[in-house]
Amino acid sequence: MIIVIGAGPAGLAAAEAASRNGSEVALIDSSSRLGGQYWRHRSKVTGYRSNRADEIFAKVSAAQSITHISEANIWSAEREGNLIRVNYLQGGIESSLTAEKVIIATGAYDRTLPFPGWDTPGSMTPGAAQSLLKGQGVLVGKRIIVAGTGPFLLPVATGLAEAGAEIVALIDANSPLRWSLSPLALLTNITKFSELVYYVRLMRKFRIRPHFGRAVTTFANGVATISAVNSGFHIKSGKSQAMRADVVAVGWGFVPDLSLGGILGCAQRVDSDGTVIFEVDENQLSSQPQIWIAGEATGIGGADLSLIEGEIAGLAASGQKIRHALLTERVRKQRFANALKRSYPVRDGWREWITSNTTICRCEEVKSQEIKDSVSELGAEDSRTSKLFTRAGMGLCQGRMCSRNVSEIVSGITQCAVTDGERIAASNRPIAAPISLGQLSDGKNSR
Amino acid sequence: MTQTITFTFNGNPIHCEEGQSIAAALINSDQRELRKTRFGDEPRSIFCGIGICFDCVVVVNGVANQRSCLIEAHDGMKVESAQ
Amino acid sequence: MKNPDAIVIGAGIVGASSALSLTNAGLKVLVIDRGAVSSGTTGAGEGNILVSDKDPGPELTLALHSRNLWFEMQEDVGDSFELEAKGGVVVARRDDGPLMKLATEQSHHGVTIEKCNETRLHELEPYLHPDISSGVFYPQDAQCQPMLAAAHVIRTVVQRGGEFISQAKVTRIIVEDCAVVGIETTRGTFRVPIIVNATGTWAGELAELAGSYLPIAPRKGFILVTEPTKKYIFHKVYDSDYVANVASSDADLQTSTVVEGTRSGTILIGASRERVGFDGAMSYEILRTLAAQATSLFPVLRDVQLLRAYRGFRPYAPDHLPVIGQDAKVKGLWHSAGHEGAGIGLAPGSAALITDAILGRDSFMDGAAFSPARFATVNS
Repeated sequence: MIIVIGAGPAGLAAAEAASRNGSEVALIDSSSRLGGQYWRHRSKVTGYRSNRADEIFAKVSAAQSITHISEANIWSAEREGNLIRVNYLQGGIESSLTAEKVIIATGAYDRTLPFPGWDTPGSMTPGAAQSLLKGQGVLVGKRIIVAGTGPFLLPVATGLAEAGAEIVALIDANSPLRWSLSPLALLTNITKFSELVYYVRLMRKFRIRPHFGRAVTTFANGVATISAVNSGFHIKSGKSQAMRADVVAVGWGFVPDLSLGGILGCAQRVDSDGTVIFEVDENQLSSQPQIWIAGEATGIGGADLSLIEGEIAGLAASGQKIRHALLTERVRKQRFANALKRSYPVRDGWREWITSNTTICRCEEVKSQEIKDSVSELGAEDSRTSKLFTRAGMGLCQGRMCSRNVSEIVSGITQCAVTDGERIAASNRPIAAPISLGQLSDGKNSR
Repeated sequence: MTQTITFTFNGNPIHCEEGQSIAAALINSDQRELRKTRFGDEPRSIFCGIGICFDCVVVVNGVANQRSCLIEAHDGMKVESAQ
Repeated sequence: MKNPDAIVIGAGIVGASSALSLTNAGLKVLVIDRGAVSSGTTGAGEGNILVSDKDPGPELTLALHSRNLWFEMQEDVGDSFELEAKGGVVVARRDDGPLMKLATEQSHHGVTIEKCNETRLHELEPYLHPDISSGVFYPQDAQCQPMLAAAHVIRTVVQRGGEFISQAKVTRIIVEDCAVVGIETTRGTFRVPIIVNATGTWAGELAELAGSYLPIAPRKGFILVTEPTKKYIFHKVYDSDYVANVASSDADLQTSTVVEGTRSGTILIGASRERVGFDGAMSYEILRTLAAQATSLFPVLRDVQLLRAYRGFRPYAPDHLPVIGQDAKVKGLWHSAGHEGAGIGLAPGSAALITDAILGRDSFMDGAAFSPARFATVNS
């Protein structure tokens, strides 16, 4: 049997591909519906080329050899001889599943940067606004600013507008001219233009004006400060304006969740943009035998690349032949993913947006000044030590939101670059999801 | 037709569609503040929306730190900001 | 610092307290560490300052004095490391005979004890399992945040004229005529007549660099950390089996529950002990065992969620006593290591002992039982 973890684009493609030769597949996901974060929809999927989702949903649902285990939160995984055991919680009860092979496709979540007011109600990630709308049918506000950087802001802003919100501004800190750095990626991915045209049409329809080289740098009492920033994200003086909004949805690209692969010992590396990702070979095989990884966890690249990586992983894990054309297609999509990284970088200048009183760790309410003091007063030299002193990253989310930002703030003070080892250590957690002590101890009794 | 259900939030009745998450139901009822923080007593709401950040945690039927963005509201549920 | 009077190797709590006590005695002290402050066992500790888990003997004498020195150190350095005399509650699940016998003996050696009946026990810990009806309360047991403590103590040393150099790995200990004359590190060479080896689990390696021998080995332990909860646990609560396990030489895994709340609202659950070298692998079976034991003490914890688990390596010597004193072969090389799980509690006491010995003055106790010389015959 093959366990596929995650039912987003990569996991769906992997399950579907593996099922083609009749391989038994268990598709595990934390949601009640297929689609992951990208295609998380209550009813019909909408947006650009949404038919792709319907096609793959239909194939996965029709495949006899795929079992969908929904609403299952995997908290740990371990090897047992030649088998891999995956432990998960479902309906408050711990269960587990063993298989010879595992495909990890756990996706990513929004990357966030702190700024004064990012912890007040009304400030959220674009993903939150999107999931409330598409997954729950709830429009999060009336006047919304969508900001940050990256192409994901387009479907979020147009989706919210379509549902009736006024998009006060759509703001990207980077300049679209950065695309000129990647001509080859554009030429070889010409279909991407039609996606852009699709969204530009929608923006016109809803009168959404894009602003570039700007960022939301404060948010309080329904007013956001929009500051002009240069290519290093440093605020240009005298060029800020106030905008009224009840919601600011700010996101800075994506962070993959590495917990499970990390628990199973899959080797990781730091990508060109500082994101920690898994190392995989040409068949998406990780450094660990019988464990394949596909999608965002091997490098942020979007749904198109995830679908291809998932298909390759599914074919490889089920022992099917992988067409050369598929590998070529992956190269092409990866080229585009690399162009995305070049076009939408996150620069260090954000560290000047925060004040001494800005919350950095939302869970433990650690302020910027405390992190600075841990370095200058107590001798912390890296984020690990700073966390031990301040409790930043020790709370409920286990540093998923703040650990990268803490590293960058500490590095800004010590003037020492964040090491790859530090980045990798901060991305790994022995408990992938919370489990109650009662559930944990019942698991002992049942064995 | 989707069924309408009712749960309580800090004692007040909240009506929502069956299948909606607690956070979605509360925000749809203009109840944006979900809790106050432990140390600074600052208001918090939904942030990541997908169960990663734990900012939207509430007490559900007496069990603390439950992510309201993930948990479906059920009829008669007792939801509170704090214990 | 060109010519320090003494170099303390290791910026954990044992090294930090030694540096402070030497500095307060008038020496110019340089502290070095191969990493940052608190980057070894101190950074993985719960902050136990216990007298309850010690049998009468030299370690208990050290623990009692050290516990008081912790509060003196807090006055000296400032209230900055969450020191709290929260008290310990040791419960007996089955036969309470051995526990009561130990408590009586301890009380003859300066430990304050209060034998508790069912009512008193549940008054102290209202969420304790109703079937548990006998225990002992130890009001002297205390707790601190050890990483913060080491950092603030080293900061004080630096304020008083000492120096701290991080990321300095010792590459050579220069010994002439059986005496220390200096050390070479990755961040400089220093001439110095006195070295304090406070490197915990690595103390044996350091002794080897000086051409000597110290049998210190790592003993792995896991700690579970829960989500922040409302206050369920009021003291450091543990099972009386813990006392037996601490003293055990069995290499196999032992688990017995220690449960306590922290100021940040989380609950810490320990403590497993196994001797597996530096193998840092996570064992979910151990987590399950610890969770089962903790929930059997406090059923209310069943609904509390586990957030993370971490492991640390406790440095221990074959006879489970710390090693405090001058090296048997090399003059000027002083060891303060091998405190096993008690390093936080014993740190200031060990620092006082070693400072007194270095300065050749009388100390609060006879430290012969801790002398490194006790291993000298093993090797020669």
